[in-house]
Amino acid sequence: MQRIVEALIRFRNPISYLILLGLSIVFLNGRSNFHQNHLEKYSLYFSQSIYSFSHRIENYFNLKKINERLLKENKILKDLQLKSNELKLYPSNQKLKKRFPFKVITANVIKNSFLNQRNFLIIDKGSKDGIVSEMGVISDQGIIGIIKSVSEHYSTVISVLNQNLKINVRLKNSSAFGSLSWKGTNPIDFQVDDVVVNSSLINGDTIVTGGMSSYFPLGIPLGKITSYNRDNRSGYYKINTSLFEDPSQVYHVYVIENKDIEEINKLKKEIK
Amino acid sequence: MNRSTLTLIFSFVFLVLVQVMVFNNISLFGYVNPMIYLLFLVIYRFDNDQTLLIFLSFILGFCIDFLSQSGGAHMIASLTIGFLRPLIIRYSFGVTSEIPSTFQNDSRIKNKYLFLTIFILIHHLIYFTIVYFSWNATYLILKNTLLTSVFSLILISLLSRFYKKLNDT
Repeated sequence: MQRIVEALIRFRNPISYLILLGLSIVFLNGRSNFHQNHLEKYSLYFSQSIYSFSHRIENYFNLKKINERLLKENKILKDLQLKSNELKLYPSNQKLKKRFPFKVITANVIKNSFLNQRNFLIIDKGSKDGIVSEMGVISDQGIIGIIKSVSEHYSTVISVLNQNLKINVRLKNSSAFGSLSWKGTNPIDFQVDDVVVNSSLINGDTIVTGGMSSYFPLGIPLGKITSYNRDNRSGYYKINTSLFEDPSQVYHVYVIENKDIEEINKLKKEIK
Repeated sequence: MNRSTLTLIFSFVFLVLVQVMVFNNISLFGYVNPMIYLLFLVIYRFDNDQTLLIFLSFILGFCIDFLSQSGGAHMIASLTIGFLRPLIIRYSFGVTSEIPSTFQNDSRIKNKYLFLTIFILIHHLIYFTIVYFSWNATYLILKNTLLTSVFSLILISLLSRFYKKLNDT
């Protein structure tokens, strides 16, 4: 206490100056409209910057909640997007209600390898979240892979960066079918084989999923044609493509559940 | 209640009245109104209490503002100059112990005029900055400050000679 009093006595001049200055600014503010306007402008500026600062801090602590909400919203939007992509590409009677058997589950990637020739990912959702093997995995701008094995809380995914995996695709404009596979070098360089030579191709055409594999719905955009060779001897094109998204740099993914898969598998067995 | 205190009180009242009644109505060249009330803050003894000076300069500015119906510009300017006075004294008379006890007792004319010039310039600059309070008026502020300072300087130095004579008798 004594120290405070001592400090007050020692700094009495600046303190009294500041108090009186404050008083005179109040006086000025009260007497002159011109100065009042100006001072209000400054006070608004200060209070606004303080508010925006506290708002930013608050936001930071809410980020987790917001992120979760956004992911939930994304999941709903992804469902809708997949549905509308498929509806657009399958011409059908608009009045008929169409069944859409695919559902989306969000997941985070916790391990992603991309340096080997056969790469795998691990995601943080497992059988408890309704994941079974052979489900498709996509990201917001492309395709990631197919679920291989599932534990209670985690599952492994065969990455598209795996030369064993071939994905049924079609071209958006010419609707020719083919299969997409990784070349084994750059993570966005892929090739499409098995496109018959009598279909017409354009550079820059978009490649979308083909919808024949029961893993993925039709019409997820994957990449673009960069160049193509016509191989007359085999009767197939050899198409070089680049993906829209680098599958080695993905953190949030969507697992696609096909509710009709058992039905389809049963039918397949009957054919054999 | 000694003689110097009486002189101080008398000059306070006198300077406020003269400033408000005479010098605020001069309008030389249309806008120059010399501010001679600053003389009070000049003749206040250099070795007197500084805190009292701050309050006195506040009251002085308040009186001028109140009687001349201006906003609060005189108040802020004279309060600030009262607070800064020890710094200006130290700068203009030298840091060592040669600081005189009053303004009029000192014989070093160069230092005295340096003190007066800095004192008046700072005061006027603050005053006109508050009056115009806008970046667009920078030229006006500087012009007014310089012109008014010249006339204030002349009048204050003349009147301070009068105080010197008064002290001698």
